[in-house]
Amino acid sequence: MTKLFSTEGMDVVQKDLQQVILRGKGDEQFAQVINKEISLLPPSDNLRVVNNDEFIFAKQSFDQWCLISLKEQSHKDILKLVSIINANEEMLASDYSYGQVYFEITGNNKNYYLNKLTHFDFRPKKFPVLTMAQTLVARIDCSIYHLQDKYVISCNSSFEDYFKDRFLDTISL
Amino acid sequence: MSALNNKSPYVIDDQKISFTFDGKKYFGFKGDTIASALLRNNIRLIGRSFKYHRPRGIYTCGIEEPNALVQIPSEYNDPNIRATVKQIYEGMVVESQNRWPSLKNDIGSINNLFSPLFSAGFYYKTFMGPKGFWKKVYEPLIRKTAGLGKPPKKFKSKSIHFYHNVDIVIVGAGLSGLLAAKKLVDTEHDVLLIEQDNFLGGILKNTKKIKTINGQKVNEWLKKTETLIKNSKNINVLKNTTVTTYNFSNHLVALEDKSVGNLQEKNKPELVLHKIRTKHAILANGHIERFISFRNNDLPGVMLAASFEKYIHRYGVIPDNSPVIFTNNSSTFSLVKSLIDLGCKPQAYVDAREKKQIEKKTLDLLDTHNIPAYIKSEIEGCDGKNKVEEVSVRAKKNNITKIKTSMLCVSGGLNPDIHLFTQSRGLIKWDSTQLVFKPNSSFQNTITLGSVSGNFSYKKTSEEVNKKLNFLEETKNLEVKLDINDFEKFNIKELWETKHAKKSLWSKSFADLQNDVTTRDLKQAVLEGFDRIEHLKRFTTNSMGTDQGKISSVNSLGIVSKILKKNISEVGTTIYRPPYTPVSFSAIAGRSTYKFYDPERKTPIHPWHVNNNAVFEDVGQWKRPWYFKKHDGETMYEAVQRESKQVRRTAGILDGTTLGKIEIKGKDALTFMNLVYTNDFSKTKPMSGKYALMLGEDGMVKDDGIVCKINDQHFIATTTTGGAMNVLSHMEEYAQTEWPNLNVYMNSVTEQFATFNISGPKSRIILSRVFSDIDFSNEKFPFMTFNKFNYLETEIRILRASFTGEIGYEVYVPPKYALALWEKIFYYSKDFDLVPYGTETMHLLRAEKGYIIVGQDTDGTVTPIDLNLNWMIGKNKKDFIGKRSLIRSDIVKENRKQLVGILPLNKSENIEEGQHIIESETLSTPIRKPVKMLGHITSSYYSPTLDHCVAMALIKEGRKLIGGKAFVSTPNLKTIPVQIVKPAFVDPKNEKLLS
Repeated sequence: MTKLFSTEGMDVVQKDLQQVILRGKGDEQFAQVINKEISLLPPSDNLRVVNNDEFIFAKQSFDQWCLISLKEQSHKDILKLVSIINANEEMLASDYSYGQVYFEITGNNKNYYLNKLTHFDFRPKKFPVLTMAQTLVARIDCSIYHLQDKYVISCNSSFEDYFKDRFLDTISL
Repeated sequence: MSALNNKSPYVIDDQKISFTFDGKKYFGFKGDTIASALLRNNIRLIGRSFKYHRPRGIYTCGIEEPNALVQIPSEYNDPNIRATVKQIYEGMVVESQNRWPSLKNDIGSINNLFSPLFSAGFYYKTFMGPKGFWKKVYEPLIRKTAGLGKPPKKFKSKSIHFYHNVDIVIVGAGLSGLLAAKKLVDTEHDVLLIEQDNFLGGILKNTKKIKTINGQKVNEWLKKTETLIKNSKNINVLKNTTVTTYNFSNHLVALEDKSVGNLQEKNKPELVLHKIRTKHAILANGHIERFISFRNNDLPGVMLAASFEKYIHRYGVIPDNSPVIFTNNSSTFSLVKSLIDLGCKPQAYVDAREKKQIEKKTLDLLDTHNIPAYIKSEIEGCDGKNKVEEVSVRAKKNNITKIKTSMLCVSGGLNPDIHLFTQSRGLIKWDSTQLVFKPNSSFQNTITLGSVSGNFSYKKTSEEVNKKLNFLEETKNLEVKLDINDFEKFNIKELWETKHAKKSLWSKSFADLQNDVTTRDLKQAVLEGFDRIEHLKRFTTNSMGTDQGKISSVNSLGIVSKILKKNISEVGTTIYRPPYTPVSFSAIAGRSTYKFYDPERKTPIHPWHVNNNAVFEDVGQWKRPWYFKKHDGETMYEAVQRESKQVRRTAGILDGTTLGKIEIKGKDALTFMNLVYTNDFSKTKPMSGKYALMLGEDGMVKDDGIVCKINDQHFIATTTTGGAMNVLSHMEEYAQTEWPNLNVYMNSVTEQFATFNISGPKSRIILSRVFSDIDFSNEKFPFMTFNKFNYLETEIRILRASFTGEIGYEVYVPPKYALALWEKIFYYSKDFDLVPYGTETMHLLRAEKGYIIVGQDTDGTVTPIDLNLNWMIGKNKKDFIGKRSLIRSDIVKENRKQLVGILPLNKSENIEEGQHIIESETLSTPIRKPVKMLGHITSSYYSPTLDHCVAMALIKEGRKLIGGKAFVSTPNLKTIPVQIVKPAFVDPKNEKLLS
């Protein structure tokens, strides 16, 4: 965890999280396979998020989900989870652990600062708690997860330097 | 006449500010614009006109200004800054523009003498020839002598963008805008109120037309209303912000000036471009006064009447104590009253209307104060050197009366400010009573309030606000009582232009002040056949200046309608295009400049590359090492020769992380892969790979890569760096739309693995040292096989494959472990002098081997057969994308361009990529007849291994010509004799590759 930026009403922290992207039908069997491993049922509505202390589980599209581990696990454990899910021939799990970077954004003014970087509508009536969005932030394709009092933003790790530099540059202006 | 100081609550008269104009020091007050400060100092001459270099002064008091454009060298030196908008600050340096050597004595004003020649279309007609003169003589000369300000030499400014998502945008915080906002206070609607000034109130602060609102003095009411809005939970206010654009889907763009009245700070954004999405847009942006065309209506000292009044009330400046007022409508009553209230008296009042049309209270006022009134009269023209000295009033027929004065206030009527409304694609209509174009029907969720909708009666404003906004939830009726000090009902007589008393070629009445378009130009354009208003606009450049003809375009329509003997509604209007006011490029660019110009992607090894003198190449958004400099003096050619020699001698390593990687899995994955690629994977053994080709439906090569089969339900495909996203989209599209019956899913795993390509004769030994528990022997690890291995806390994958022709491996490792592994590989290969190489060396090595690069050796018109890759087509497959196209007659014909190798007969000669291959040895100089072209060179490199140039080319019937001779043409029309060979120069039998 690295503290990146702190200003009035907003704190930005970079976090080491892990992620698995899941593809499948989303039927009962799909739900059971996942639930057996992480004790969490996948959300059935698009862009909805369910979470517990260990995971964020979001539905990204009609046949795609992402599972983010909030507590850093050994990579082998993640790969084991991927392997177990992939044993089901109608599902695909891909390890995204180290190909993404994660930023946790908190504070009352977070929407104000983020509005300098994205056209996305953060108003609670449009982006309620426990939903997610895929949009451009600082010109980079990002996923934003709205948890109770914070956003988790993730993007491809190859963009990490550009994203951080651009983000910090703009919110400081 | 002097410009007196009046008390104004909006400029701070105890804060004196000094600034310079054309090198001379002047004083103004905090809150003054450049224009108000110059008027305060009795300066009338501000600039020179665009074409004729005529003297020009301050015509208006706002964004509509056509004349008073200046340059501010103390800032970023943007040209064409409107002096009527820009506020002064201590030490500000202001310069006039488009004059030389000085504003008063401008040599360019000689253009005015030749002006009878410079009529509409002068440039189009005159500068036709001789050939070549336009580029070398005319254009540089015209650019030097004509135009506005000078562009800044350096781009320095700092601007940001800001995004808003709201329910309602209110444009304009005048009376109607404020009433609309008040109605929405503390509702559930998210509201953004935008005001171009640095205060709320608009016309309430520019005039004394309203005495009280709900029994309160105007300023008191404004203060309370502003507090109410500020404390509301749902309304945000943007001041100093002008809405410039109204796009489709209720998307508005507004520009905020962050440094009003202050020097721009270097580390702060001076401009903010607001991009706003809304459900409803309320346009309450008022009206703009228009002028009347008469002889010399451009002289400094001619000013719009409402602007004169605004200088009095807003800035506390009376531009002149006794101006002549010329009008054709009711709106000038308040100016007369304001002047009298201040103890000043107009020199004369000239009204084009009949006496019965003129409001009684105006006539009473004139009568009571003995102001000479010329009724049913008009201004014929005005005269003076560099300023108004005398005006000519035509009272009856051609009876001219001369009046000495230094200022003439003109009002030709009021134009609802419909620019934004028409940008939103709303339809307008002509109101023949008020002589205005006003909104008729909205195209989007647009509501107009107040004078922008043609409602010039303040008393009706609250009624209009209630009527138009009551549909919004939670709103209540507003009760507003106004005590008005203005005309009761707007009244106007049609008058666009007055007649000249004397016919002279040098007499000018202007239709467009900024672009020096005269009423005579309009007539001439119509005579020459440009009778459609859009054509006429372009032929004359009427209303095409930075002011977009805000005070003049309707007059031009009026004049043209008279010439054409049509109603103005039949003539129509030109289209108002965004931006409403000029927007600087810095605001448009925002922070996407210099290092933020384009997003960059970096591999996990990037820091190592930087530390080892990599020179980078942009491949898509990726930064890829192009080559590594051994020392500062090493050229790219030397580096690439060194790197490639070393790879073939011992080993080299390439950061191949950027290659696309896609994981494909599902019950029907094998069927899917057989459909997407030309190859047949049915008999491919698990844990082995295949070089695979992907075609478009037209049968042309789309991408290539290695497909690794884990089992029949699970594959990993690699793609080219640039093609990664497209290949994934292509696969998804087919899976979702063409073959939804197939159970198959795919994920991009490009970012999940760093990839190292290690190749060269020593690569096996090096990897055996790094991964001591893996058997890399040919028997255990043959060509095109792969496996997964445990490595530290993770898992890596190694594929035996090569793009150099040498024995090679691709190592796939999660990014977290990549840099350490990269360094470890170097650690274990010290004695072999492992060389890092970049993309240029990779290209050379693969060309020596005859491997193609999609996009370099192909161009979207090349089939696998053209590339001699027939062996990659699964002949027994029932179907795959592009299969049907491969049997089309045009595809199977013999004389298509085919890939061949090219070698210069004289080994010391070099061939360049892109050069043409021809049959004939000599070319005539200059070339007069078409030269038969066989094809072109697609790849060419100097091979350090072979010590001569090797090239590949696509040439007609190439395969038949192998063994033959051809010629490569060079830019100096010499030819290089070459031999056509098979495209494989190094290890054609693959002995090294398979060793």
